[in-house]
Amino acid sequence: MAGAIIENMSTKKLLLFGFFILVFQVFSILVGALIAPSPTSAIRYLATKCINRHRTRVWLMPWGSNRCQQVHSFDEPLAKILDANDIVFAVHVPLPNKEMSPWFHYMLAVLQFDIAFKMINQIEDDVIVTVDARLAYRDDLKSEWTTKFHSVEQRPLKCTFAVPKTYENEGRFYHCDPVPLMEMGSVAHKYFLLNLRLPVNDTMNVGIGEIKDIHIVGIHQNGGFTKVWMSMRTVFTPWISAATAWYWRRISIMARPPVLLEKVIFALGVSMTFLNVPVEWLSLGFEWTWMLLLEDAQQGAFYSALFCFWIVFCGEHLMDQSQRNRLSAYWWQVGLVVFGSSILLIFDLSERGVHLSNPFYSMWGSDFGTNVAFTFIIVAAISVCLYFFSLCRMVCCVFRNIGGKMQQLPAMPEARRLRYKGIIFRFKFLMLLTLVCAAMTVIFFILNQVSEGHWHWGDYTLQVHSAFLTGIYGMWNLYVFTIIFLYAPSHKRGRSKSADGQHADMTEKPESQETQLTCGEQGPTEAYRITGKVAEE
Amino acid sequence: MCAHVSFVLEMFCETLRMIYLGCFLLLCGLTHVMASYPIWWSLAVGHQYSSLGTQPILCGSIPGLVPKQLRFCRNYVEIMPSVAEGVKIGIQECQHQFRGRRWNCTTVNDNLAIFGPVLDKATRESAFVHAIASAGVAFAVTRACAEGSATICGCDTRHKGPPGEGWKWGGCSEDVEFGSMVSREFADARENRPDARSAMNRHNNEAGRMSLNDNMFLKCKCHGLSGSCEVKTCWWSQPDFRVIGDYMKDKYDSASEMVVEKHKESRGWVETLRPKYNYFKPPTERDLVYYESSPNFCDPNPETGSFGTRDRICNLTSHGIDGCDLLCCGRGHNTRTERRKEKCHCIFHWCCYVSCQECVRVYDVHTCK
Repeated sequence: MAGAIIENMSTKKLLLFGFFILVFQVFSILVGALIAPSPTSAIRYLATKCINRHRTRVWLMPWGSNRCQQVHSFDEPLAKILDANDIVFAVHVPLPNKEMSPWFHYMLAVLQFDIAFKMINQIEDDVIVTVDARLAYRDDLKSEWTTKFHSVEQRPLKCTFAVPKTYENEGRFYHCDPVPLMEMGSVAHKYFLLNLRLPVNDTMNVGIGEIKDIHIVGIHQNGGFTKVWMSMRTVFTPWISAATAWYWRRISIMARPPVLLEKVIFALGVSMTFLNVPVEWLSLGFEWTWMLLLEDAQQGAFYSALFCFWIVFCGEHLMDQSQRNRLSAYWWQVGLVVFGSSILLIFDLSERGVHLSNPFYSMWGSDFGTNVAFTFIIVAAISVCLYFFSLCRMVCCVFRNIGGKMQQLPAMPEARRLRYKGIIFRFKFLMLLTLVCAAMTVIFFILNQVSEGHWHWGDYTLQVHSAFLTGIYGMWNLYVFTIIFLYAPSHKRGRSKSADGQHADMTEKPESQETQLTCGEQGPTEAYRITGKVAEE
Repeated sequence: MCAHVSFVLEMFCETLRMIYLGCFLLLCGLTHVMASYPIWWSLAVGHQYSSLGTQPILCGSIPGLVPKQLRFCRNYVEIMPSVAEGVKIGIQECQHQFRGRRWNCTTVNDNLAIFGPVLDKATRESAFVHAIASAGVAFAVTRACAEGSATICGCDTRHKGPPGEGWKWGGCSEDVEFGSMVSREFADARENRPDARSAMNRHNNEAGRMSLNDNMFLKCKCHGLSGSCEVKTCWWSQPDFRVIGDYMKDKYDSASEMVVEKHKESRGWVETLRPKYNYFKPPTERDLVYYESSPNFCDPNPETGSFGTRDRICNLTSHGIDGCDLLCCGRGHNTRTERRKEKCHCIFHWCCYVSCQECVRVYDVHTCK
């Protein structure tokens, strides 16, 4: 890791590079804020209450030429003679005169119940609502509906009633949490039809109060956002992959085998490229419902690589005497990362994985599933916390060592002092960069959570949520690019060395030897022995 | 209008003098009906309403539309049932909110002016009914849009992107904006005269629509990485209409009294409203305004449209306006015992099927003298 570009670059060039990165950062924020629409749309549909007396499996349309026979409200006299099992809630996605598009990328549906309070028919505690859900599709307005999925699902119903439960307040609505109903990883058809029933028998759907209406909220990614997002990924893919390839070439033309830190940086570049690859272009043409799963895996792989990089980087700059340069030296932290991310992967597979075959499935539907899900999340959170705790401890350690070395610096020989200065500078620079990126992420995240979807600025509407997503995405790409570029081995010889007309590779060897030697003052470390051996060859 | 007269005739047919009065009212009525409150509200009551769902609306047959409303009706005939529905839920809410008061928002079925002459004056009650009706229209249209029964709703092309691709590029705007727009275009269409009553109706209609906007609530769903809140989508939901009713009732209780001011402008005399009391906070656009005091509604009075409170059921234990003292205006009350069969020990299934036992309960019913 010695003689990185960052140390040999002149301040002017470094500033120029920083400016270049900053321009791209601003650009990636502005792309989200000005060009892209908001990332997602939520459309509220009011379910039409259709009557299906024969309880056949026909598809009931809420509107249009062959609309179903419907009741306007359950207070109507007509509704009084109906059985609950005759009622089908029908929702056509999207609304009239519109059609869905593969650009929407995914589609979620959330149930919102309108439940009126009645003294003699209150919602019981911890009640479960059972929904018989069917989904059909078609691609033109004339053809028949094709059944896609059918499932009977259970969901907990969490409702509160803000005012006292008295006769006075009969007819007011409970406040119910939205109930997730469906998650589909691709929108391959133009029209969808949802038919829901709340089947009733002596034990099922009893004590769920007086349901007046069901609203279904359909959420999808906006087509415009998908286009902007995929364009960004398409731009970043060749950029980062080229940088990664260039980095590896730089490493491999050195005569010594790469040290751990170099391997980890390479892994970071590879995982970033893996995250960037715009596989979604293909999902426009094919019905690939596993796209959401793949995206989660991509993100997970990147975060794991990033976390591993941080810990290894700190460890390799610790400047103490212990043996490192092996991943097993970081078994505790890396183990935490691997453990945490595989827990999340299992969680994801058991939720989104099952969605591939049944989009109505939810882990949170049953008590057991909820407990398992919570266990997964808590365990993952604990391991992430432990990781950050040990990372912080290591960073503190480095800073303490830096403080110690700073005091010794004036007494050191010239070459060794420059090497130490190099290490300290490299470390501080990355610390600063990482802290800025992390702080930006946190600030953006908070802004994103508290702000409304868009800000008005003169005639422009700024899409805050899109700017957050594209800005953060661009930022981590630029972060990885900066690390790959600045921490790549330099061809220039160190300014402390006087060498004339030697091959770049030749200067590399004594430098690394020197560095390793100063890292382990008391005796040669494993890394020194490796690099030293290489140097002798 | 004829029905208006026939209502008057019914009440006063005994004497010739009264018939003269009726004729007088007819003459007044011509200007009066135009000047006070919308006749088309009659869509919401009686047999007209019940046929709304089954037959197409004939705009020409809706009474009391001004030309602009007629044009609107013909252009957007598919949302007219929702407009009628909106007025209906507004009136139902009015009747709920005023159930224990001397004026209980009674509608008369045999008259096109569905509240009788009560709302002819620019009273608090008029202010409330206008506000709740315009909120009701916005509410019902928004609902119909969400149901897909109206095809012209929402989804304007405000969002950027290639024209015609607005929906695919950036989705739709909120439907509630469309509902308010319909209410504004339709309900306010007749309130364009320069007189004080028009100004008051406009203000109160807008206050009603604002109350709907203010009471919308936000719900969110997180669906980022593994369901985290990295990506969060929120949407506005309409509250149940009772919330709007409560809110408007508060506004009714704190309504601001105004005085009429006349200005000479280029188009002639223009009447505007100014707060009567300078030491009170001036009304905001969310407050209700009125400029005539209400009758006391204690005794029947065909001129004010008061039905009186005789035979109204009152609450013996209450010291409020629904208590027997206040509701009966000090006339005292009668008490009788009633045995009512009631459903009890019911087992409910969510929609329509209820299995109950029948219990008999004895009630004391107090009615005003």
